[in-house]
Amino acid sequence: MGKSVIVSHVTKKYKMYTKTSEKILDLISPKGVGKSFYALQDVSFDTEEGDVVGIIGVNGSGKSTLSNIIAGVIPPTSGSVKVKGEASLIAIASGLNNQLSGRENIELKCLMLGFNKKEIRELAPSIIEFADIGDFIDQPVKTYSSGMRSRLGFAISIHIDPDILVIDEALSVGDQTFADKCLDKMNEFKKQGKTIFFISHSIGQMKRFCEKALWIQYGKVEDYGMMEDVMPEYERFIKEYKKMSRQEQIEFQEKVRKSRTVNA
Amino acid sequence: MKSAWIVLKEQISSFYLIRRLSLYELKSENNNNYLGMLWEIINPMIQIGIYWLVFGNLMGNHRLVPLSGHRIPYVWWLISGIFVWFFINPSIVTGGRSIYSRIRFIAKMNFPMSTIPSYVIFAKFYQHLTLTAIVMVILQFAGYPVTIKIIQLPYFMFATLAFLISVTLITSTLTTIVRDLQQVLVSIMRMMIYLTPFLWTPDRLPAFLHPIMLANPMYYIAEGYRASLLGLSWYGLDHIKYTVYFWAFVIIAFMFGSMIHLKFRDHFVDYL
Repeated sequence: MGKSVIVSHVTKKYKMYTKTSEKILDLISPKGVGKSFYALQDVSFDTEEGDVVGIIGVNGSGKSTLSNIIAGVIPPTSGSVKVKGEASLIAIASGLNNQLSGRENIELKCLMLGFNKKEIRELAPSIIEFADIGDFIDQPVKTYSSGMRSRLGFAISIHIDPDILVIDEALSVGDQTFADKCLDKMNEFKKQGKTIFFISHSIGQMKRFCEKALWIQYGKVEDYGMMEDVMPEYERFIKEYKKMSRQEQIEFQEKVRKSRTVNA
Repeated sequence: MKSAWIVLKEQISSFYLIRRLSLYELKSENNNNYLGMLWEIINPMIQIGIYWLVFGNLMGNHRLVPLSGHRIPYVWWLISGIFVWFFINPSIVTGGRSIYSRIRFIAKMNFPMSTIPSYVIFAKFYQHLTLTAIVMVILQFAGYPVTIKIIQLPYFMFATLAFLISVTLITSTLTTIVRDLQQVLVSIMRMMIYLTPFLWTPDRLPAFLHPIMLANPMYYIAEGYRASLLGLSWYGLDHIKYTVYFWAFVIIAFMFGSMIHLKFRDHFVDYL
């Protein structure tokens, strides 16, 4: 078994401007003006083929940024990501065109992902079956409920048969039966030796499904290892954080935020 | 040079993609209207009517326009040129914002992003073809039947497409980085309709201004369409130097556009 994803020293910096004038100055000055925020700071880890990695961390710790970088949606500021095969991101906002019908969206999405006419014709029926939204498939997506939308998005992303799957909280909108269906499908992927990254705030789902856990804390890797080792640590941290008084929590966050912000 | 080659290859190998995506583009724009795509025809027809009324009738423009040794009534002169503007203007304006308004939807780095402005332009091209057919029918009845010179028309259509793709390659990249440029672009295009002989006839201009007006490549396109539709001259061959200038402009724009497009495209998402 080889390495499927190698993330080495990945850093993602975002510019934070307080005024429009800073924005303009930053564009022309060679050194850059304004504050930068580190969404990710020197993140390194790797995964084997067939790993199912749960990414855990509190809100704003950089989980989604990391998943976007692994899936190749956004480039890292520095560092490198090596991915064996094709990575696919499944997120709640799965980029469907509201004006078009579900069926048209399937073709559109597959075209964008580089499938040809014949492949799309073969894929479409099974996508429609998996999404299971009945007659709505020929209605414009703007009339869909959020659950239907994520069903369709999920069905498309899962059928394009990626080698690496990044699931960013996409399951949290579906109902229990759909979530189970997706978990079945993902177990199938697991057996095929595909690598899956799973982001969810449901600790139960996480424990049941993932073997490994990557704990991202304020843009850095806090811990990476087997789920049963990392998860108790994370739960302990959450408990401690909850025990703090409101004042302490604010001070703690302030401290963290400072450590992630630098000038220019 | 190398980047122009990469972008050109991308355009050619994604031709099927461009065609399909442009159809969806057209569909999603018109799905909300009861008359659907008919508006793509109705709108320009209304505009032609207005321009004809204002510039042709109310302003008393009943003269004959001298063009390549012929004299053309103003109204036919207007119609045979202005419909090209209805293709150029929306292509450049929507082409300019094409990348930053669609990048969220695409959100995948290995998508050939240089095809985004192209498929947006192609979505407008269907309308252009229909309008061309309508204009040809009108001119039949106006006493300008189709002549052998019509075979220039595909060439000028190709020239227009090449011009638009090259220009939007530049503008779509720049507007993604600095969003304000889209507003500048809209203003420039608003001026351009008056700086290109679509509404007024160039013979009214003082002679020294003429070369300056010719520097605008859209002049070439407008005159070329007129020459083919009215059957006046072999415009591209008769003005061979101007043809060379036009293509030099297009090629340089394409090379520059490809260069900056490739330089920035990995970071387009960061500019959102």
